[in-house]
Amino acid sequence: MTNNSTLIEMRRIVKVYPPSVLALDDVTVDFRRGEIHSIVGENGAGKSTLMKVLYGLTHANSGEIIYKGKPVHFREPGEAIAAGIGMVHQEIVLIPEYTVWENIVLGIEPVNWLGKIDRNRARQLVRQKIDEFQFNLDPDARVENISVAARQKVEILTLLYRNVEVLILDEPTAVLTPQEIPQLFAELNRLRDGGHTILFISHRLEEVLELSDRITVMRKGKKVDTVDAANTNRQQLAHMMVGREVIFTSRRTPQPAGETILKVENLSLREDHGRVRLDNLNFEVRAGEIVGVAGVEGNGQFELVNALMGIQSPTSGRILIRGQDITRASILERRKHISFVPQDRGKMGASLTAPVWEDAIMTHHRLNPRFSGWNGLLLNTRYAQQFTRQLIEAFSVVLSSPRAPFRTLSGGNQQKVIVGRELLLQSDFVLLDQPTRGLDVGSMEYIHDQILRIRAEGRAILMISADLEEIFLLSDRILVLYRGKLVGNLPVEQTNPQEVGQLMLEGREASL
Amino acid sequence: MRQKLLNALIGILIALLLGAFLLLLQGYDPLATYESLFRYSLFGYYPFATTLRNAVPLVLPGLSAAIAFASGVVNLGQPGQLVMGALFATVGGLYLDLPPALMIPGLALLAMLGGMLWAGIAALLRRFFDMSEFIVTLMLNMIADYFTAWAITAPFKDPAAFSPMTPQINPNGWLPKWGEFNTMILFMFAAVVLAWFIFNRWKAGYEWRITGQNALFARLGGCNINRNFVAVMLVTGALAGLAGGLVVMGGPHRFIRGLGANYAWDGVMIAIVANNGLIATFLYGLFFSAIQTGALGMELITNVPNEISQVLQALLVLVIVASREYLNTALEQLAARRRAREVRT
Repeated sequence: MTNNSTLIEMRRIVKVYPPSVLALDDVTVDFRRGEIHSIVGENGAGKSTLMKVLYGLTHANSGEIIYKGKPVHFREPGEAIAAGIGMVHQEIVLIPEYTVWENIVLGIEPVNWLGKIDRNRARQLVRQKIDEFQFNLDPDARVENISVAARQKVEILTLLYRNVEVLILDEPTAVLTPQEIPQLFAELNRLRDGGHTILFISHRLEEVLELSDRITVMRKGKKVDTVDAANTNRQQLAHMMVGREVIFTSRRTPQPAGETILKVENLSLREDHGRVRLDNLNFEVRAGEIVGVAGVEGNGQFELVNALMGIQSPTSGRILIRGQDITRASILERRKHISFVPQDRGKMGASLTAPVWEDAIMTHHRLNPRFSGWNGLLLNTRYAQQFTRQLIEAFSVVLSSPRAPFRTLSGGNQQKVIVGRELLLQSDFVLLDQPTRGLDVGSMEYIHDQILRIRAEGRAILMISADLEEIFLLSDRILVLYRGKLVGNLPVEQTNPQEVGQLMLEGREASL
Repeated sequence: MRQKLLNALIGILIALLLGAFLLLLQGYDPLATYESLFRYSLFGYYPFATTLRNAVPLVLPGLSAAIAFASGVVNLGQPGQLVMGALFATVGGLYLDLPPALMIPGLALLAMLGGMLWAGIAALLRRFFDMSEFIVTLMLNMIADYFTAWAITAPFKDPAAFSPMTPQINPNGWLPKWGEFNTMILFMFAAVVLAWFIFNRWKAGYEWRITGQNALFARLGGCNINRNFVAVMLVTGALAGLAGGLVVMGGPHRFIRGLGANYAWDGVMIAIVANNGLIATFLYGLFFSAIQTGALGMELITNVPNEISQVLQALLVLVIVASREYLNTALEQLAARRRAREVRT
């Protein structure tokens, strides 16, 4: 379908990541001038790769790109920007110590006749752009002092300052709170009305439906279809994305909580230079209960996990498991009671280079005598292999061999190995730090089922998540962290995402 | 595994070709040079025995470096640990008098103890003062150098000798020979097997390996990474120390000036070429020994100076290390291109 408003056409794009990951399988798609075009799909569906090919960050093995009626080939992002195509990445790449305007003009600073940066003119130009697009930013604020949402605006403005016509946004809402999203959407709509073309990568369907003119759905490297947003709905999109029906409602059944397993008393953690990271936390987690910890990232979640796991010592307070004080216990001692799924698979959850079985037996090799031979000197590799096969089967891990390097597994399968390993420890207390971060819908569903299963078994679960939807889907009780303080401890039936979002952002409920 | 072998063979071939080119430039006959190089190192009873024997002080420090590096421990103190091991074995050999069946293992253990002690100092400084073992082990090499030099000039000097050296150790501590084969190679074989077994089959070895790949993961998994660090330091120190002891017991039977030569650094280099693989370290150690050994014989027959062995070694290191990643990427890219072509049709 080529009509005269077509701005970009990507034809028959094939991209194989070495050695043989087929990321884009013969994809043909067109983008029109002045539309918001969303690209949705599960993780690994190829949506980011498609955009990277367009932006010149990676190169297709075959296919062509027609931009403004001419075939183009961008060797690097700089060429794409010069031609009018810019991309905002998931991770924000700004210089925190610089002010907003300094970040924006960086690289194309206006200079005076001596070659010195003309600061007044630069600021003025940036202010003009801010006013033009109604971005509500202070050009003199230092980037380290502004919110994530504002930083994102700075990134977008940096591209607009370079006069791009096409803006690619890679999951921009992933780092925003519910309150910040409508503002971003309003800005994107204004940009669209001003003639910009916006390509929006996401896997959150409600957002996509609200924002887009057209939606392209991708699955496993193939384009499934491009549809008008007005003529589709969430169920249909989810079906196209996953290839089957997806249940969106909570399957959590009411269940009375049992005895107290984890008890945190007056827990505080102060850094050497005096900055308070955790401020007098008090809470419990009981058997058969999922307690969700909500909060904008960086409000103490990291330190809470470190204190519970023994990576950082708290300044004061106590941590008790079944009444036993583990505040100063060694990590191995804690691991007898705690299953721990970290948020970062490659950094804390596994060794990427080790074979899968070596990652699968960690901690078990210390706690389960069946892994030992010769009085604990030898590792019983035969039992280790058997254990790994059991784990692979019980948690439906898809892999070529237990001896394959861990990094060759997909993100979902890596997470299944880690979750499986931790849940097989049979500990009373389970600490989950963003257990489904970066996973596709199918794997996420699977992990959620497992979490609900161990809840039914009567284990106590503390789940930290940046995803409010996930918190509300699973939790019995929600704790809200704000600047290291616990500002909310709410049974899920008595609250709603708006209230929790408000607490996350301001530390208190909106005053009426 | 097959790819590693392929990489090694291609690397060796390219290095030899480059070496041949250099020889040609200098006006030598590369074929004749290589022929004599390998005739005096591999083909023949005496040359082969010598190559094996010369491999001992390369392979043991090589294993030491490979285990340390693969466990995330930057032990670069093999030269110091080697001479300390040699000194311990020598002093033991001067003052002990036991039957050979006890004397030989006893001196070998003393040598390991010397290496362990020297590595242990670095381990303790790291544990209690958080001093980087990278710097500390390097500086301890200097201290060991001067300390042993002093020891053989003053307290343990052979009064009959004109240059710094100790008297010969008790003959009960001399390593016997079987024909041309010095029994020191048995210690090397045993060390290779034992090191491989500890590293790949012991629980401790498993934890060392994982710690070397991702220390935070190992720590969160309940591994005592501080204790493991000390253990790796001690084990790798013992391996380097053993090399020093064997050199004394198998060769001059005394500590003479310059005993450590460049063995330990060559060993570290071999570990790097072998990408910290233990079996690979052993095999490359034999190969480098063959080149060093053959070069001496070659010098007698041809006009080529034996320094050519240094050139060949340097070429091998460069080519093998450089081609390792390149070969990987090249093979993967080739596979990707083939796959993309399949998709298109």
